[in-house]
Amino acid sequence: MKRQSKRSNTLFSHFRLQYKVIHALILREIHTRYGRDNLGFLWVIGEPILFCAGVAIVWTAIRPAREHGLTMTALVVTGYVPLTMWRHCMGRAIKAYESNGSLLFHRQVTPFDIITARTFLEIIGTIMAGIMVLGGAVALGYMKPPENYGLIVLGLIYQSFFSYATALLAASLSEMSDLVEKIVAVISYLSLPFSGAFIMVAWLPLRYQWILMLSPMANNIEMIRGGQFGIEASVRYDLFYDTWMTVLLMLIGIILTAGVRKHLEITG
Amino acid sequence: MIKCVDIVKEFHTSSGVRRVLNGVNCTVQRGEKWGILGHNGAGKSTLLRIIGGVDLPTSGQVEQDMSVSWPLAFGGAFQGSLSGLDNLRFIARIYDRDYGEMRRFVDDFAELGQHLREPVKTYSSGMRARLAFALSIAIEFECYLIDEVIMVGDARFSERCRRELFEKRADRSLVIVSHSMDFIKDTCDHSMVLRDGKMTICDSVQEGVDMYNSF
Repeated sequence: MKRQSKRSNTLFSHFRLQYKVIHALILREIHTRYGRDNLGFLWVIGEPILFCAGVAIVWTAIRPAREHGLTMTALVVTGYVPLTMWRHCMGRAIKAYESNGSLLFHRQVTPFDIITARTFLEIIGTIMAGIMVLGGAVALGYMKPPENYGLIVLGLIYQSFFSYATALLAASLSEMSDLVEKIVAVISYLSLPFSGAFIMVAWLPLRYQWILMLSPMANNIEMIRGGQFGIEASVRYDLFYDTWMTVLLMLIGIILTAGVRKHLEITG
Repeated sequence: MIKCVDIVKEFHTSSGVRRVLNGVNCTVQRGEKWGILGHNGAGKSTLLRIIGGVDLPTSGQVEQDMSVSWPLAFGGAFQGSLSGLDNLRFIARIYDRDYGEMRRFVDDFAELGQHLREPVKTYSSGMRARLAFALSIAIEFECYLIDEVIMVGDARFSERCRRELFEKRADRSLVIVSHSMDFIKDTCDHSMVLRDGKMTICDSVQEGVDMYNSF
């Protein structure tokens, strides 16, 4: 076997290595989570599909067909897909470093790579699931095709970054304090009204609308609904605020992640 | 070269902060074989983990200009729920090695046969040790960090390790922690002794062994 001692040490080679690591982590994640035997990769999409489709079907069945003039199925799909993305990213991030301690034995694997791989998988999974559920609902006549795909894509991009930022935060904070680990589930549940998944800004009285608009996710879901319903719905989002808030969360997440190794006691 | 500069490591325990390493300095040059001696709980394995980049020191730093293996011990480095092959595949990917080539070497060295397809958590400690050695040797590190407890394998495995690591790869550095004097005397050409968080560098292996025995 050849000896490979001389390695190039350029920025590009570092990026290449990190890319390889993240790629390997994603494949490994699929194998650990879904096993090799049963359709492995399909479950990345299958799991969120069952979630989103299930909720969409139940809500369509038990709720009035329209709310504030908008069809129920479309409201549920546009709200629930981004919400699932966020909750799954966060759920996967809690204590992710401790449960993956064996990975950190290899010095090229960083905490950053672990969260990036997991988040990427969740984001791809939920978006694919969203497309499938949308396709199914349109084919069955419960939903109209989106009016403006560009706005939906924009909303999903913002939502992906928001989910990534919260995953970085949750992963680091849950290692630093046990209390955080315990209360994250509660927080993510209590924050549901502020997610904007089940409500729209325009449904609120004018003087309280700003509260919902403080939530980046609510802004993102407004964008997605704007893309879905077109002029049928009145949507409000603040791109300026949303951008800076997401960037800020992302920065804090990156800083915490860079320093998190001090707090880790790796067993394995 | 690996250089440890003023390594301090503290652990937070229920009885307050415990300082395990208190300003450890040492240097390992290319090709040198170091044995670190010390009693149980002296911090030998902790130091090995810090050199291997698994744990961060509370203060101080590790400088290195050669590739250093992960600490070869019973735990760590493998995902228990994945099969030996999947672990191999993952490690080949992140160390940028050819899977086929690595697979052949591991098959040949570890002789795990069909067990390679079973989850690593079902392995005996001897099987884990064989897998860990096979993988790290296939990666061709320039320095190997070895926790002596892992060398308990059967005679056949010990012989194979000796041949692959100490003969064919005699140019590599080794850092071995151990309380087996004979093992250190056989394999190392330098020694240091860890006691009360401080490291004493010895002139010869024999001096280190004598010092360790005098404690």
